[in-house]
Amino acid sequence: MSTQPYKFDPHAADIFTREVAARSGQKINSCYQCKRCAAGCPVAEDTGMVTPNRLIRMVVLGDIESALTNKLTWKCLFCHTCGTRCPNNIKTGRIADTLKKMALDAGIDPQQPEYKNFHRAFFHYSLRHGRINEIGMMGEFQLRNMWDHLKKRNYVAIISEIMSKSTLAWKMFKQKRLHLSFHSSKGRDEISRLYKKSSGRKWI
Amino acid sequence: MDLAYYPGCSLYQSAKLYNHQTKLVFGILDLKLKELEDWSCCGATSAGKINDFMAVALPARNLGIAENSGLSELVIPCSACYSRTMVAQKQLQDFPLLKNEINIELSKKVKGNIKISSALDVLRREIGGSRFNAMTLEKLEGYKPACYYGCMNTRFPYDVSISENVENPQSMETVLEAIGVKAVDWNYKTLCCGASSVIYNTECALDLMAKIMGDALARGADCLVVNCPMCQMNMESQQDQYCKKHDIKERLPVYFITELVGMALGLSKEELQPGDDLFITGMNWTDLCGDSV
Repeated sequence: MSTQPYKFDPHAADIFTREVAARSGQKINSCYQCKRCAAGCPVAEDTGMVTPNRLIRMVVLGDIESALTNKLTWKCLFCHTCGTRCPNNIKTGRIADTLKKMALDAGIDPQQPEYKNFHRAFFHYSLRHGRINEIGMMGEFQLRNMWDHLKKRNYVAIISEIMSKSTLAWKMFKQKRLHLSFHSSKGRDEISRLYKKSSGRKWI
Repeated sequence: MDLAYYPGCSLYQSAKLYNHQTKLVFGILDLKLKELEDWSCCGATSAGKINDFMAVALPARNLGIAENSGLSELVIPCSACYSRTMVAQKQLQDFPLLKNEINIELSKKVKGNIKISSALDVLRREIGGSRFNAMTLEKLEGYKPACYYGCMNTRFPYDVSISENVENPQSMETVLEAIGVKAVDWNYKTLCCGASSVIYNTECALDLMAKIMGDALARGADCLVVNCPMCQMNMESQQDQYCKKHDIKERLPVYFITELVGMALGLSKEELQPGDDLFITGMNWTDLCGDSV
């Protein structure tokens, strides 16, 4: 928590709010802080009480640092309890997703690399093969995590990852949920052409 | 009646049971499921966190395949795939320029006019006209399920129209009533279970699952009935973890809705939950029974 008062720059705030609103497609300025979203957010206790309405306030005030590094941006479950209950139909889950993408573009990493690596592993694996094979996808997720931990020389995290994921794999195996089959889709060629078309696009 | 069928990646692997049960139950209800040819991953919730264009393009490809198959309805059992495909269809309708751009690269173009249903939607529609044997219904006496919907059936990141009450959905209760089972009324029908965050934010997800379990138990439920493969996996495979963490002594089985419906239609437990080898070796349904379903 900063002890200095926040320096509000109306021009910068306006630019930031417009960018987030355009990328997420949400009417951010319509929020009147009624907090129906806060009451229903399942991760509110986990984020240090950064609730969806506070996230919107950070954006409106142009507090880019808080907006891109707070816990809700990364921990939002995309459950849309907020978006469904908002009287102004603001789907804050999409704002959190947009802030995740903006943080990654700006090179800001979440404190734990797993938060970004899971979705990256899922997405890139599905592009590569056309379909998700769970073992392969989890394997890619682990490799990305290991690489991030290695860069920070965090050997303790590496060991604990290996142990926790081995336990998970063994548990899935015992429950007959671990499948050695491999499936893929020939459509990955079309998908990769679409992906090339999409690179550099921020506003859909 | 012929329906286009999109299983999604999880129904081929960790939720293979759901694929198996859906095909069995739909077969008995005289609904032929035609799996989409060369379907691909819909991107689930991950695509939208990396690339907005692909989050629409990936489900759009499957919509194109479905429409070109000539069938008028697409059935999607997995809630995440259902949510993403519904949202993509609506976004393609609202943004025709986007649709054109995506269509340029697709070999099977999207028009955007196919009806998308979840497996539960179809069950709710078709179950009313079925006749049940009194003896098979007796097997279901005494079940007191708590119907758990999760997030993705009722809440969407974009305005789509669904025929379900968002805060108090009733589809599973309706289906169960038609087979003589009274579900308990409870608070956390649509509370998020944490979904994939159980992998990277485990403690928070376990707390959410324990809340769901706690309320179901407090209302006297003896099992959970779900229609989302992610919820089923979380609530069942993590049960020991979250119950031990929150001092919950009881354990509840977590069934797919197709299991109870299948029992009412006369299928045995063994047929609905076949032996282990089916799921370990990766054999699929057609290996076992050919194209009879």
